[in-house]
Amino acid sequence: MQPVIRWFHQLGSPPTFDRFAARWAPIAYVLGLLVMAYGLYGALFVVPADYQQGDSFRILYIHVPSAWMSMAIFALMAVYAAIGLIWRIKLCEILAMACAPIGAAFTLITLATGSIWGKPMWGTWWDWDPRLTTELILLFLYLGVMGLYNAIDDRRAAARTAGFLSIVGVALLPVIHWSVTWWNSLHQGQTISLFGKSHMDPSMLPPLWAMVVGTHVWFIGSLLARARADNLKREAGKAWVLKMAGTE
Amino acid sequence: MMSYQNYVIAAYAVFGVVLAWDFLAPRLQLRAQLRAARLRATREAARSAAPELTR
Repeated sequence: MQPVIRWFHQLGSPPTFDRFAARWAPIAYVLGLLVMAYGLYGALFVVPADYQQGDSFRILYIHVPSAWMSMAIFALMAVYAAIGLIWRIKLCEILAMACAPIGAAFTLITLATGSIWGKPMWGTWWDWDPRLTTELILLFLYLGVMGLYNAIDDRRAAARTAGFLSIVGVALLPVIHWSVTWWNSLHQGQTISLFGKSHMDPSMLPPLWAMVVGTHVWFIGSLLARARADNLKREAGKAWVLKMAGTE
Repeated sequence: MMSYQNYVIAAYAVFGVVLAWDFLAPRLQLRAQLRAARLRATREAARSAAPELTR
C-alpha cells in the first residue's frame, strides 16, 4: 500500500487522529493568527482610505474572507458528510459536524460586519436583498445542522441525519454566489476574483489575500480542535482515552 | 482620524469576539472530556482496588 494511502487509513483510527489533531491544531491556530495579524495591520494602517467609502471600506477585509469561508466550509461539510454517508467513515462524520459551528461563526461575522458597513453606506442595518437573505438562510442551515446533530442521542445516526441536511443545503451555495447577478440586488457585484481581474486597486489587495489565507489556516486549527473534542466524546470510556487523560 | 471609526471598530470587535469564542469553545469541550475521562479512570481504579463483596 502506498505510504500516503496507508497514512490516510491510519488517520481514521481515533487514537491516531487524536495525536494528529493535538499536534497540528495549535500550529494552525498560531500560523493563522500570524497571517491574519499581518492582514489586519495592512487593512487598518497601510492601505489608503477608499475615495468614496472612506475608511468604512476597511470592514471589507474581514467581511469578504468571512463570507468566502462561510460558503467554502459549507461545501466542505457536505463533502465530508457525503463521504461519511457513502463509505461510513466515522472520522468524516466527525469532521463534517465539526465544520458546522465554525461555518456558523464565519456566517455570523459576515452578516454582522455587512450590517455594520451597510448602516453608513446604504443608510440601513438590514435589507431583504437576495445576497443578504440567502446568507441569512445559510446561517439558519448551519444552525439546523448543529441542532439536528445535538437532538439525536445516537452520535452516528445524528451525524448521518445532519450530514444529509448539509448535502441538501449545498444547493443554496450557487444561489448565494450568483444572487447579485440573477436579481436586481443592492449588494455590489463581484469585485474581487481569485483567478480573474479584480476591480480593486492592486495596492489594496495584499492584506485581503493575507486575510483569506489566514482565515483558512485558522479554520484548519479550529476544525482539528473541534473534531478532537467530538472524537474524545465518542470514544469516552475506551482504554486509550483513559490512558491519555491520565497523562495530560 | 479615521472616518466612520466607530463602525470600523465595531466590525473588527465582532470579528475578534467571534474568533475568540471559536478558539475557546473547543478548548472547553476538550477540557470537559479529559476531566470526565480522568474521573472515570479514578472510579475504575478504585473499583478494581476495592475488595470483592462476599455473601
